[in-house]
Amino acid sequence: MKCSRCGAQIGNSYAKINGNLLCENCSRELKIDEIFRRQSSVFDQAFPMLDVFPGTFAAGTDLDFANAKIRCARCGTTLRDIEASGQLGCIECYNTFNESILKHILKRQGSSEYMGRKPGESSQINPEVKPESDSDMKQSNIVEATSTPDTKPAATKQEASETQAADILDRIRNTELGKLTEDELQDGMMKAAAAEDYALAAKLRDELQSRKGDA
Amino acid sequence: MWYEKEGKDTDIVLSTKVIINRNIKGFPFPAKMSDADKENVLGMVRQAAGSMGLNFVRTDELDDSAKADLYEQFFSGYAFLNSNAKTGYLLSKTEGLGVIINSTDHISIVSMVPGSDVATAYKRADDLAVKFEKSMDIAYTDKFGFLTSQIKSVGTGLQIIETLAIPGIEKTEGALQVLGRRVEKYDWQIMPMTQSDGQRQNGIYILSNVATLGVTEQDVITGAQRVQTDIIKLENTCRKNICTKKKGIVEDQYYRAYATLRYCRRIEIAEALTLINWLRLGQGYIDTSEANIDWKKINKLTQKVRRSYSDSGKKAVRPQQRAAERATLIREIMKEGQA
Repeated sequence: MKCSRCGAQIGNSYAKINGNLLCENCSRELKIDEIFRRQSSVFDQAFPMLDVFPGTFAAGTDLDFANAKIRCARCGTTLRDIEASGQLGCIECYNTFNESILKHILKRQGSSEYMGRKPGESSQINPEVKPESDSDMKQSNIVEATSTPDTKPAATKQEASETQAADILDRIRNTELGKLTEDELQDGMMKAAAAEDYALAAKLRDELQSRKGDA
Repeated sequence: MWYEKEGKDTDIVLSTKVIINRNIKGFPFPAKMSDADKENVLGMVRQAAGSMGLNFVRTDELDDSAKADLYEQFFSGYAFLNSNAKTGYLLSKTEGLGVIINSTDHISIVSMVPGSDVATAYKRADDLAVKFEKSMDIAYTDKFGFLTSQIKSVGTGLQIIETLAIPGIEKTEGALQVLGRRVEKYDWQIMPMTQSDGQRQNGIYILSNVATLGVTEQDVITGAQRVQTDIIKLENTCRKNICTKKKGIVEDQYYRAYATLRYCRRIEIAEALTLINWLRLGQGYIDTSEANIDWKKINKLTQKVRRSYSDSGKKAVRPQQRAAERATLIREIMKEGQA
């Protein structure tokens, strides 16, 4: 059996999703295993699945949406309807649910001042992609560096400079221990000890030991 | 179909869809409209579109093959096509361009192109929008801009939806999170594509704009161009990285996927998409000379597998039979161009 995500051989523990087998590492990375463990973990996902939160558009506003008394005279839509569907009933609703309320909802959209074109005017769109500024380029370089774990210095590079070691430690602190390989843990432990971060070193040691215990 | 045409960056951006929503003054929005009003709107829009070179069709008069065609071209969902709720279409001779009448708004202009050419897609839709605005009394206020039934699109009424296939990012640890943060920075949103039964489609994501008020149309288009440039760069880096560092695994998976798709007799959507992802990942980065496949085929496969009218429709057909039909379709596409 092979993992359908990374192609590695599957050991004893695996997850089965949509008929695909995933190895332990992959299901951990995809946070599939966590969903069953605790409810709140959907918020930890890179993109929480939107159907989990119907009517998310209103989240974060302090409106009393339970108020069903304000009703659009023309079409009968209430505030509660709007909360449930995100839809207004008619043009008149824009007057009925006056701007102070709508402005809250429109917070999602940033500024509430209309800046688009007027009816019947055609807008001039520049079809060229604007060249990115230097700062943009730098940022995307950083993205590339951080997003490809394979490019990180190999564990055997003893001559790695102190700053690099600090970077690695930062990275280890910020990732879940479960995602690291044993080599990385071992390496991180040595580096942490060298940098006199004993708390982290101890944490890594415990993780290593617990893994050896499992095996 | 429009998505079988050549496009820009189609190895990553499957399609770009631009929707412009407009409403006519004097009617409630379609959700609160009476049947008589809906008939009026259908008539008015049809009349206004008389000189625009568009073909008018009523949804309830469409036969199954026409519905399947509209569905598979990503115009509308299955439920909308079969609701008989006095809706209609104006279809242009240009593929992927059309107007949906009485959907969520009275007029929804839809323009779809393969790949990332958002400016062209927008221009087409906007030209139509301007014509409607000149010939009809469109709901507009200086404060809110164009009034739409959905709060989330009031203002420009402009929505841009890009479908991305990013197996490289998905298979790289931490890259999805980086991508999420990047997209957020541009004030856009990205989410995994889900099937009608709520299952995720592997490696396929939907990117869409958030702001419609307080931004100009040019801002939105520029935003789209920037965010997609970023994603394309990131995805290419990830694909290259995986294909260099894990060459053996990718080659193995690529040819296994190729063989399975080429010869399968029954296949589920999820499995097919996973396999297509391996093709997408390896194509162009590993030696694929033994495989008879190109980007055009990969994209056609992706779209056909993802969206098939008979998959969402005939509930009476047994899953095994659908899996067999799907496998036949895939094999036919794989065989194309082979001696």
